[in-house]
Amino acid sequence: MKPRLPVVLLALSLAACGSSDPENPAPTPDAGTSVPDAGTEDAGVPDAGVPDAGPVDSGTPDAGEPDAGPPLAIPNTLSGYGLFTGSPADGGLVPVEGNVPYTLSTALFSDYAVKSRTLYIPPGKTARYQPMAALDLPVGTLITKTFAFPADLRKPDQDVRVIETRVLVHQPSGWEAWPYVWNAEQTEATLATGGRSRDVTFIDSEGETRSFKYAVPSKNQCQQCHHLVDDKGAQVMHPIGVKARYLHRTNTYGGVEHDQLEYLASLGKLDGLPAAAELPKAPDAFDPQAADLTTRARTYLDINCAHCHNPKGTAGITSQLFLDIGTTSMFSLGECKRPGSAGSGVGGEFDILPGNHAESILWYRMHTEESGKMMPQIGRTVRHAEGSQLIADWIDSLPAKTCK
Amino acid sequence: MPRLQWTRASSATLLALVGALSLTACSDDDDTTPDSGVKVDAGTTTDAGSDAGTTDAGSDAGSVDTGIAWDGGSAGTFSCEGKTQTTLNFAPGQEEAFQDQVNTLAECTTITLAPGTYTFDNAITIRKNGITLVGAGKGAKGEGTGGASSTVLVFTNAAANSNGLDVVGDRFTVSNLAVWNAKKDAIRVESSTDVVMRGVRTEWEKADQESNGKYGLYPVKSKYVLIEDCEAYNAADAGIYVGQTEYAVVRNSIAKQNVAGIEIENTKFAYVLGNTAQDNTTGLVVFDLPGNPIKGTDIRVKNNVITGNNRNNFASVQASSSTVSQVPAGTGTFMLASRRVELTGNTWGNNNTVDVAVLSGLTIDSNPANWSAAGGNWASADVYIHDNTFQGGSGDNVDNGNLSQTRRPLGAALAALYAYGETQGTLGVEHLVWDGLDPVGHDRAQINPINICFVNNTLPASTTTAIVDLDLQAAATLAGQGNLAGAWGKTRHYAANKAEFNCAGFSPALTIGDAIQ
Repeated sequence: MKPRLPVVLLALSLAACGSSDPENPAPTPDAGTSVPDAGTEDAGVPDAGVPDAGPVDSGTPDAGEPDAGPPLAIPNTLSGYGLFTGSPADGGLVPVEGNVPYTLSTALFSDYAVKSRTLYIPPGKTARYQPMAALDLPVGTLITKTFAFPADLRKPDQDVRVIETRVLVHQPSGWEAWPYVWNAEQTEATLATGGRSRDVTFIDSEGETRSFKYAVPSKNQCQQCHHLVDDKGAQVMHPIGVKARYLHRTNTYGGVEHDQLEYLASLGKLDGLPAAAELPKAPDAFDPQAADLTTRARTYLDINCAHCHNPKGTAGITSQLFLDIGTTSMFSLGECKRPGSAGSGVGGEFDILPGNHAESILWYRMHTEESGKMMPQIGRTVRHAEGSQLIADWIDSLPAKTCK
Repeated sequence: MPRLQWTRASSATLLALVGALSLTACSDDDDTTPDSGVKVDAGTTTDAGSDAGTTDAGSDAGSVDTGIAWDGGSAGTFSCEGKTQTTLNFAPGQEEAFQDQVNTLAECTTITLAPGTYTFDNAITIRKNGITLVGAGKGAKGEGTGGASSTVLVFTNAAANSNGLDVVGDRFTVSNLAVWNAKKDAIRVESSTDVVMRGVRTEWEKADQESNGKYGLYPVKSKYVLIEDCEAYNAADAGIYVGQTEYAVVRNSIAKQNVAGIEIENTKFAYVLGNTAQDNTTGLVVFDLPGNPIKGTDIRVKNNVITGNNRNNFASVQASSSTVSQVPAGTGTFMLASRRVELTGNTWGNNNTVDVAVLSGLTIDSNPANWSAAGGNWASADVYIHDNTFQGGSGDNVDNGNLSQTRRPLGAALAALYAYGETQGTLGVEHLVWDGLDPVGHDRAQINPINICFVNNTLPASTTTAIVDLDLQAAATLAGQGNLAGAWGKTRHYAANKAEFNCAGFSPALTIGDAIQ
């Protein structure tokens, strides 16, 4: 059964529930059970699902330091969080008040899946602005990302099938990622800790039918992208997309356009926001009007690759290839740089051979659909033709060198 | 020997191989002697003071095995002693439940897998300390299904780009099972301390497929790794690979039909004991790669059988920087940018290109700056080859005659040189090939400046010369001018008992493995 209406668009347009009154946070606090609404049907009051039975907060913003509070018990179903009303089957998965939908100016590519995202910061807590890293989000924060495929990419709001919703939970002990897989009826998503495999078919932008095996990542696989190495050498989980430069764009809330960061601040959910002129902004990588080619290509690499390829990411540490927006060394970006243990035919000798995308491993790995060669390591089965073209154009625009 | 015509392309190959050596001349003043510890005088009368002035005392003092009491078991700080230990049992048909449980494991859990076949559509990703995964047996080569006493994990139809086992966790043990047709690496363990792989088979169904997974057993960036009684077949890169690791033992294992059988890369303190590496493109590889922060050193290779490694290189059909894709078929042991390596008690034979090659890292990356991460670790030095058996039948069909100027330049260069050499009465590549590059720009009056010791080995009776110094830079220059005779004239061929190579290793001697019986 296919949903009649696109979940994603509905989520954005209907989530306009307005109340930004910080005195009266909308999701009715749960009365202390650790699993809100578990098992029984909710009578209609949206419930953001986070228990507030923990120690009373002392009043200062608790922006991300581990709390002494109890961990959130992870519900077996997505509805157990109380973050949404409705379902894809009845026309829309609608965030409850306080569960703020957002979009990124450039998003990570995931096999052409259409994604919708929400951010829930519990009552009484506030995120802290960060200029480069992800927002410093308090314990109790829930980030959701829902993945869906339209039957035809050229009609992205029709015949949408929702596959999975991933929930990032900021526990007192740190972030956790939990995958929920939607049932065939599109009425409920159930925890699938081990991940699942789903056959997906869609018609691509060229009108070609594409079929592939879509892998819902397991809980542990989520860590592959979300891990950074901390000062003590331990791997620590972090959110990826909720960075100021990607959030600094407008969205429609209650029928009114707001900058997403300013909107969060107006809700009392974001502290330390600088003046708009000082906010970093990542452009839409595919809008030639938004920025020059280099900036757009670097932005694409930043959101798609840099969560691993940075000086604190394990893949970056191994490869010494740093693709984050903060990297200034062209060698670290891959120019005339040989890879470490490349492991397979990868199209060239150097990560980037300036002026020649076809012999640049960086491009090859993001262009190929061959298992064992393609990047990223998980989350992609088909080529992102537009992203591949963007990086090809950028490499070709670099002054040619032989690198020998 | 392939009967090759010397061609301009051949010249270009030699040039390409070392073409950028001139770039490295800047380092001559800084590094004319190997960073190689102290030579040990063999005490024989033939060693008439040849060591004078070339010692480099103590330069590697910080990297010497300090004698940690480690015998291949646990040595890290994580322990399950005193902690709750649970066991989970699964049988075929419970793959989904198994996957879910794997992702919510408590530390110090043992997972037992009953005999049979398990089919997975995604990697088994483990991210907890103290996990033991044990099956009923690894089965036999060629078995893609589990039997009454074997457990086979099948990944034939798994999601693209997924590994078989994908593990980050201290004190991880996997034993008595097989991993079949993984999309990428069969068993990848990363950033973990105390890793044991015992009685495990990794295999891809079809031989010689570039599309096969790249690595069979693949511990990387880890510490205290033990691989024993394992088997690895048909990996498109390395069957058994230990990379960027400190303290590793690989013993009593079998690697066949891979591009590289056993590979020790950027690893400190490795003991490779009693393995069989046959029918690979190259049997045993020891090397460092540029840009890697771990400087490989202290590798002991003992009592291995490294014979008949003549499988055509199937690592890649395209230009590639993958190092093993550049190794010519028929290479028994390939060392590159390696130091403090002891090879003893091994058997080499019937390797069509060469039994042992010792190369400078500059042959694959000529820019010293790119080697800076590990302190300029391109040089090979201190290679102690003693008390081995060379059966013969090697060096007589370089790269099986399937030469590629671009993909495997060393093979093409060797074939070209020895095609000429054959006209001069040299009928095959010697057992030990040294490219003659390290230390860069060394005084050619020094016969053996990097301290290669070749002592007390058993050689075929017909052996006349056992060691060759290719002097690749000079040979390439002349070859590039079309002067093949001149190029050949730069190569130097030595008998096994040549005084300069009759030395007793290096000091301090290796200690890894001393505690292992």
